[in-house]
Amino acid sequence: MNIEYVGASQIILGALGRFWPVWLSLVIVMGASFHYRKRLGLYGDLYTSGVGIAGVAICLFWTFTAIFSPVIAPFDPLTQIPVMKDVLPGAIVPDGAAGAGGVYLFGGDKLARDVFSRMVAGSQIVLIIAPFATAFALMVGITLGLPAGYYGGRIDSILSFLANLVLAFPVILLFYLLVTPEIRQLSFDNWFSNLTGIGFSIPRTLAAVFFLFPIIFFSVLFYTRFKTRPERLYPLLAATILIGGWVYLGLVFNADPLRVIAIEPSTLNIFVAVVFASSPGVFRIVRGLVMDIKTRDYVAASQTRGETPWYIMLWEILPNARGPLIVDACLRIGYTTILLGTLGYFGLGLAPESPDWGTAIKDASRLLRSAIHPALPPTFALMSFVLGLNLLADALREQALKD
Amino acid sequence: MNEAVKATNIRSAEPILEIENLSISFFTKRGEIPAVMDFSCTVMPGEAMGIVGESGCGKSTVSLGIMRDLSNVGKIVGGRIKFQGKDMGDMTEEELRSVRGNKIAMIYQEPMASLNPAMKIGRQLMEVPLIHDKVSKEEAYNRALAMLKSVRLPDPPRMMNSYPHQLSGGQQQRIVIAMALLSKPALLLLDEPTTALDVTVEAGIVQLVKGLGREFGTSMIFVSHNLGLILETCDKITVMYSGEAVETGNIRDVFDRMRHPYTQGLFRSIPLPGADKNSRPLVAIPGQLPLPHERPKGCNFGPRCHHFVEGVCNAAEIPMIEVAGNPGHFSRCVRFNEIDWAAMPATAAKDVKEPVKAGKPMLKIDDLKKYYKVAANEIFGGAEPRTVKANETISFEARESETVAIVGESGCGKSTLAKILLGLETASGGNVTLGNRSIGDTAIEKRDVETISSIQMVFQNPFDTLNPSHSVGSQIIRTLEKFGIGKTVAERRERMLELLDLVKLPRAFEKRMPRQLSGGQKQRIGVARAFAGMAKVVVADEPVSALDVSVQAAVTELLMDIQRENKTTMLFISHDLSVVRYIADRVVVMYLGYIVEQGTTDQIFSPPYHPYTEALLSAIPIADTSVVKKHIVLEGDIPSAMNPPTGCPFQTRCRWKKFVPGNKCETQVPPIRNLGGGHQSLCWLDDEQLATMEPVIKVGGVDISQAEPHDEVPEGGRRRGKGPGFKGAAPKRPDGKLATPEAGQLAEDFEEGEARARARRHEAGDALSEPGGAAFYDASNAAIPVGRDQVGDGRQAVDPDVMPAGGNEPAPRGAGKGAAPSAKLVSSSRTGGLAGRSAVKSRSSQEAVAKHRGAGVAPARAAAPKPAPAGAKAKPAAKAAIPPAEKGRPAGIAKPRKPDDLKLISGVGPKIEAILNGLGIYTYAQIASWKKAERAWVDGYLRFSGRIEREDWVRQAKALAKGGVEEYVRVFGRKPR
Repeated sequence: MNIEYVGASQIILGALGRFWPVWLSLVIVMGASFHYRKRLGLYGDLYTSGVGIAGVAICLFWTFTAIFSPVIAPFDPLTQIPVMKDVLPGAIVPDGAAGAGGVYLFGGDKLARDVFSRMVAGSQIVLIIAPFATAFALMVGITLGLPAGYYGGRIDSILSFLANLVLAFPVILLFYLLVTPEIRQLSFDNWFSNLTGIGFSIPRTLAAVFFLFPIIFFSVLFYTRFKTRPERLYPLLAATILIGGWVYLGLVFNADPLRVIAIEPSTLNIFVAVVFASSPGVFRIVRGLVMDIKTRDYVAASQTRGETPWYIMLWEILPNARGPLIVDACLRIGYTTILLGTLGYFGLGLAPESPDWGTAIKDASRLLRSAIHPALPPTFALMSFVLGLNLLADALREQALKD
Repeated sequence: MNEAVKATNIRSAEPILEIENLSISFFTKRGEIPAVMDFSCTVMPGEAMGIVGESGCGKSTVSLGIMRDLSNVGKIVGGRIKFQGKDMGDMTEEELRSVRGNKIAMIYQEPMASLNPAMKIGRQLMEVPLIHDKVSKEEAYNRALAMLKSVRLPDPPRMMNSYPHQLSGGQQQRIVIAMALLSKPALLLLDEPTTALDVTVEAGIVQLVKGLGREFGTSMIFVSHNLGLILETCDKITVMYSGEAVETGNIRDVFDRMRHPYTQGLFRSIPLPGADKNSRPLVAIPGQLPLPHERPKGCNFGPRCHHFVEGVCNAAEIPMIEVAGNPGHFSRCVRFNEIDWAAMPATAAKDVKEPVKAGKPMLKIDDLKKYYKVAANEIFGGAEPRTVKANETISFEARESETVAIVGESGCGKSTLAKILLGLETASGGNVTLGNRSIGDTAIEKRDVETISSIQMVFQNPFDTLNPSHSVGSQIIRTLEKFGIGKTVAERRERMLELLDLVKLPRAFEKRMPRQLSGGQKQRIGVARAFAGMAKVVVADEPVSALDVSVQAAVTELLMDIQRENKTTMLFISHDLSVVRYIADRVVVMYLGYIVEQGTTDQIFSPPYHPYTEALLSAIPIADTSVVKKHIVLEGDIPSAMNPPTGCPFQTRCRWKKFVPGNKCETQVPPIRNLGGGHQSLCWLDDEQLATMEPVIKVGGVDISQAEPHDEVPEGGRRRGKGPGFKGAAPKRPDGKLATPEAGQLAEDFEEGEARARARRHEAGDALSEPGGAAFYDASNAAIPVGRDQVGDGRQAVDPDVMPAGGNEPAPRGAGKGAAPSAKLVSSSRTGGLAGRSAVKSRSSQEAVAKHRGAGVAPARAAAPKPAPAGAKAKPAAKAAIPPAEKGRPAGIAKPRKPDDLKLISGVGPKIEAILNGLGIYTYAQIASWKKAERAWVDGYLRFSGRIEREDWVRQAKALAKGGVEEYVRVFGRKPR
């Protein structure tokens, strides 16, 4: 069967056109932000430099792409239209096949799926895992880094030693270990499993530990601040424990009573692996910042009025470490994205048919000699997103330095 | 200075640096921000110009502008900088590079930041001659070594072989100075070179810097916020405010007869001797420095000025206006002729406050000890832990409403003491009793709320004292919350607003973030926070030292007012003895963990001193021209607390050590000696030696209020003998030895018009009264000891007013008439009709004259400027009077038939030629044969400090003697003049 193609200009226009909800949202959000930039604090300051605007634009572009991906993608990322195997960009689906008349804007891959749609759908996976995994890594790193830096001495030595151990371990090997089926299936079933029927594996145990940190973090945060004001303290604590517990149940035990929060075991794996690998980095940054900030007079001032150590760490020190931490978080989302790509490339973690960018690049790379086009869109997507994050981090750093 | 003189007399001396109407702006996203506007100054060879001003006034920008090192955002938008007659704006990058570091060198505030930590000192120093002069390595090494010797560093070869981090701050700064001098710069820019150093170390650096102009003929621009330092080091001063020079002139003119309200405000807000917290409090300048883009129209100082007149001061931009009858003295004030300079501002407190009465003891510290253990490695263990003794047998008490100052340099243990008091550390031994509770070994977590709130602290650094992430109001409320004050949020807020009122800040500041506040305002919030819980004891750790001068006074006064009202005990930790003398009732001096001396303020500031207190006192720069200070420079640095000296902690630097028999200082810790009235000293010296101690600081002998009834300078500093310890006695002068240097100088000044007297205050401390002090006088001084220790009044000789009278009258006057010539000179200068100017000067010169008359010294050399025959007659008399000065005197000959034209030697004008002829020197050959001793003698004789090296004369004379003009041209590549 002969396949017809549209021209290059039509490919470009078509692709741009498909992103219309993204453009619309971008214009609205960035226009409003630009207009009110004076009142938006650090975020508003980003709009004062070209680098900042570019960074924000790229990051928002991919965020909106992830949000609107069902609207943008013309085809289902997993649907195969057999005639479209390895077609070049701009191929029109011939009559008779499902989805006739549609265009494979960026061509088809070796399993006859639409590359464009897969790229768009892949953004969703990347943009969910990367920021959240980074957020959890931040929580873990901060919660351990604060006491290490503040108390110093033995606590610091032990925690730093552990962090160094993790950092010293080759990351890829670590991931292999964490996500290989054999290790995944190593069972640590105990009385709890017998009772509830929930099996314990290494990833799940790690998840159980890691996901506890945000709950601890917020509880301590509110407790130290509002200890003398019970009318504020109790509602906040209750909210933290309720929401935290609900998410915890859903993520770790897959036992959300409302059946809203659920996570694929393979995704959980990736999640845990990424948190495990990047929290020592955050730990070290936080520790260094705390060691610097704790020598400031305002810390001594809060000590002399009898504040508890955790109050000082969370309310006096941490807010002043936010600048470098925000910058680091941005960069770290980028690294995590690359890491996800790497994992996908090695075929670790996510399902083989998953449209995420790493897996897509791996699939395409096998047949790179015969057809290069399926490899390019996910590569560019990955690159541009990480670039956007780096630009954003650069601009944030600039702004943070000004204060 | 001396524009008039320049105009009339001299053409010969080229200024090293001429800045004309310099304007520098920074270009940022917000647009152009002018940092310096219309700045002009002239620096002559060998002269030191001080630039003084508060932070943000543009003084550092000026020095960077001279270096043309304004990063990429700064630009010179107007005016010219001429260096050695060449416009730096016309220089190419290449030329600029060869000027920087070679002809202009810069010394920055942080010595560590100026040295490469990865390179040995020797290599860094050698780089300079290697790069600039392209000499061999060996030669470079020798030059570096010699330079290290001349900046008086101990053990230069070892220094050459060490890394910067192995040296102390003071040593590092000396290295930086050595590096700057290695290229023999014509101009040295010093940007707050001692701010990061301790006072006693600073004193050493100041001594060194002072001698530079003399030794190397280097001109200097000395940027500082410290008026006292400027007075000690500079000849001229420029006061800057908000990007403009507001006043410039001779040091003495500006210090004694300032003609700009800002300058006067500055002087009123620093605690000079004579200020008293009860009867004569400091007067702060209201308001704050305008932001660069919010400068007012007309006078920048207008909004803060007491003399502001609508429509006059803010009508137009104000140029620098010359002060009539006072050439070289300019002020950027349109009204300075109308202002009554003696009047105190209306806002100043007129009423004399009752001195506070100390109540019952609040805080008792008894035999307190604090040792730290320094372990090697936490996880793996390792080397034996070492002990650092931060505090050792500290005992004193503080009573209600009393201010006790704790004085000492960094590392003396005063901060550790504060930490123990506040519970951040616990004592290793001894007792601390607050009220009736023992708190010494109770850590802060274990203290109850009442104890915590009754002892609070005001911190040093205003930029650090408030958490930048929380609003001002919420930080105070949090404190109240912790202290259990107020039951509801609303009550606490109400109390917080009251506290804002208490520290005189608007209530709207509640919502402000700390970054929106100025330093002084932040410090006020810090005070409010400390007094939030009705503290009984407040520990103030250098609360004003990081603030600008004009704000310091306001915060100090506020702190004392609140203390007075609440009957609070204040422990005032400081290294600045002038503030301490002003604020404290009792003083505790600490050194290396020990209390070395304690007593009332009077006791501490008058002899007998502890040797360390004596050194500290002499190290404070005092911005008062009438103060006579003994100069004691301590050798070395504070020993490390890790490795303290045996015996007395101060023995390594003590200049009195040799008076204690039996080597006791080095072996045993001295006992605490009671000197009566609660005055205690930790010293082995016995009563006899203590009795020989002289006051370190004396306020000058003459009462200016009598001499200048029309010009009474009102602030405390001008009142003699008010403050404790500053005796009103006349400065000790080397009587009768004055005539010589003065007259010589006079003569020379006629000739050159701008030679500067180097020492600008009475320095009573001469080599003899300084047994342990470093002998900072070079050979030329040794030759004429008196000449160097010139009395401050000697400055009158440089007085421009006097000059025209004498200068226009070169005709020989009767020589050898004893005192007459100089007296006549003075009177002629007065009759010369220079009104209202020379009150002080002529009076003091008369005094000087009277003195040498009285002493019966034939002032032979007063006549020396006059021609030859006189010289012969006068000589014997001079010999009899001043024998040591004759050592090294070049041999004279009778006037030959055809004397050489000595004027061909550059640096010798007709006047100097006449002087030389007077000495019997007529030929090149004679000068060519001068050795070092002769050169030094002539140096001292001519009082021609540093301007031209006599060595150079000798070289020139040699050439001229050998082959006349042709030879000269061959050697020097130019024609003799």
